[in-house]
Amino acid sequence: MLVKSITTLLLLGLSVCSLDLPGMAQAEGVAVVVNSGNPAGNLSLGDLRKMFAGTKRSWPGGQAVKLITRGPGCPERAALLRLLAMSESEYKQYWTAQVFRGEADAEPLVVPSVGMQREALGVFSGAISLVNAPDVKPGMKVIKIDNLLPGAAGYAVR
Amino acid sequence: MRRGRIWARIRCALVVALIVPACGWAQNAGQNSSDPDQETIRQLAEQIKQLQQQDHDLLERIKILEVKQAPASPGTEADASSPSTSPQLAQQTAPLPAPLPAPTPTPPAVPHDRHDLHGIQWRGFGEVNYQVLNQRQPELATGGFVGGSHGNFYTGDFGLFLTSRLTAKTSVLAEMIFEEGDAQSYSVDLRRMLLRYEYDDHLKFSFGRYQTNIGYYNWAFRSAAWLQTTADRPLVMQYASDGGLLPTQAIGVSVTGAIPSGKLGLNYVAEYGSSDTVRPDISGDGFVTDENNGNQTNVGLFMRPDGLRGLQIGTSYYHDQISNNVLNASSGVQVPLPPGSLGYSARYGQTIVNGYVVYVAHGVEFLNEGFLIRQALVGGPLHFDTPAFYSQFSKQLGRVRPFVRYQYVNANSNVNSVIDDVGLRYGPSFGVRYDLNDYMAFTTQLDHTVRGGQPDLNGLQLQFAFTF
Repeated sequence: MLVKSITTLLLLGLSVCSLDLPGMAQAEGVAVVVNSGNPAGNLSLGDLRKMFAGTKRSWPGGQAVKLITRGPGCPERAALLRLLAMSESEYKQYWTAQVFRGEADAEPLVVPSVGMQREALGVFSGAISLVNAPDVKPGMKVIKIDNLLPGAAGYAVR
Repeated sequence: MRRGRIWARIRCALVVALIVPACGWAQNAGQNSSDPDQETIRQLAEQIKQLQQQDHDLLERIKILEVKQAPASPGTEADASSPSTSPQLAQQTAPLPAPLPAPTPTPPAVPHDRHDLHGIQWRGFGEVNYQVLNQRQPELATGGFVGGSHGNFYTGDFGLFLTSRLTAKTSVLAEMIFEEGDAQSYSVDLRRMLLRYEYDDHLKFSFGRYQTNIGYYNWAFRSAAWLQTTADRPLVMQYASDGGLLPTQAIGVSVTGAIPSGKLGLNYVAEYGSSDTVRPDISGDGFVTDENNGNQTNVGLFMRPDGLRGLQIGTSYYHDQISNNVLNASSGVQVPLPPGSLGYSARYGQTIVNGYVVYVAHGVEFLNEGFLIRQALVGGPLHFDTPAFYSQFSKQLGRVRPFVRYQYVNANSNVNSVIDDVGLRYGPSFGVRYDLNDYMAFTTQLDHTVRGGQPDLNGLQLQFAFTF
């Protein structure tokens, strides 16, 4: 019994040492980040979905929502498509239609890196974006979704 | 014996546990050796990494500034509510390091918005069609289709669409349509031209020429064939200039917005404007009806409940006054009315009630809309009722989207003198849309139309639609 316990502990120790910590953090989910001056601290999942679908276009204070997104292939893009329950092709067609209907001026701004997300969030005061939780940088304000932060049980944006 | 094996296992495990960290320590120790060459190389490598990172950061900042500057030019989105020299930006841009001696020549691939040209978002839609009917009698001879032929190619509508933001809350939208007419002539129609002001989600104003928000189809597909699943619009939703039954355009003001209603997702629309509908008779008699509409009022409500995403249920009520002014399409001369008619001075109050239930999600498109169009003689009991509906179902299967549609219009020509060319029409359409990529689609459609007092009509439509 003692021997088994020691062996288990040793193997556990080795396993922990070999864990990929960023990968583990990725399981925390995708953070919803806004401009640091944005007073919002919490959004409902429904409102978040409406914002990224372009049907809710202003913050409670009346400020215009500016969508900052990542391109195809990024975990943030995958989370966005899951949030909207769309494929990449459907997403493109949806935004073409939204613009043509007059429901949006342009498709969401696409940036190629987390650094540029941070910059864009700083530039546009009404900006909102999705960032892989471990990649959140100083200057990005993480807001709660349904009163939950990334990593919490039941956090919905993944 | 057994105890010996156990101790051997423990020793083995301990050796593994000790060897792994020891290897790592040894590696670090090697890196930290006092060998001056290795130390120099390590420092140089570190400096290169730092320079590369600085270079990368600089390029990112330049791109962000470019994005910021483009909206700041006249007529673009500038997030005007935030000062252009926001503290964050100043803080981020102020401490730019000195120019690097050898900048990397390959900047990061920033996806440029190909629709943006000097702050104006441009888009285009087009279509090329081939249609054949099983009769030579002209039918819906619009959009370039030559009625009476076995079949011919035509281009339908070619549209250029632009939007531009003037301030954070104000923007301009315009849609120009080049529509093919007879003998491959083209006319230009400014189908939409709107100055829009969005106070917030609950109050949005549009001034200018708009497309009346009667029903779902007008709102969802506007005039772009590429957005539609089918090759054509249901007859009741056709543009009035193509023989449709609804007053599709007006100049005036439109107010829309969300009604605070929680998860019900209620929205409203209210429009007041002037229409002047001129619709060709779809029976091919060569006449057009100039309705000389009075000012129109349209109010509508629709809901998009959070509980079932993709569902939209709505209703609208439209009212104006029209004439039954029949003109010869080519000469513009008034056509004499048959004896016993009310005469051209008669005015009709036109009321259009619409209701729809639509589900569009998970690749499924299920559209259902019903209409009741009433034209009632002003100052008299005479009135004509025209019920109409269509139902359309399609499902995306990879790049293929098969669809089926059934439509019904009953403008009984025996008693309806305003849209007597339509009569009773109903029947199904089947087809398949194939998306070649995100910008091009090919659609094949078969139509069967039963017509009151006339032979059934069968048709084949092939359409290549695209956006750019």
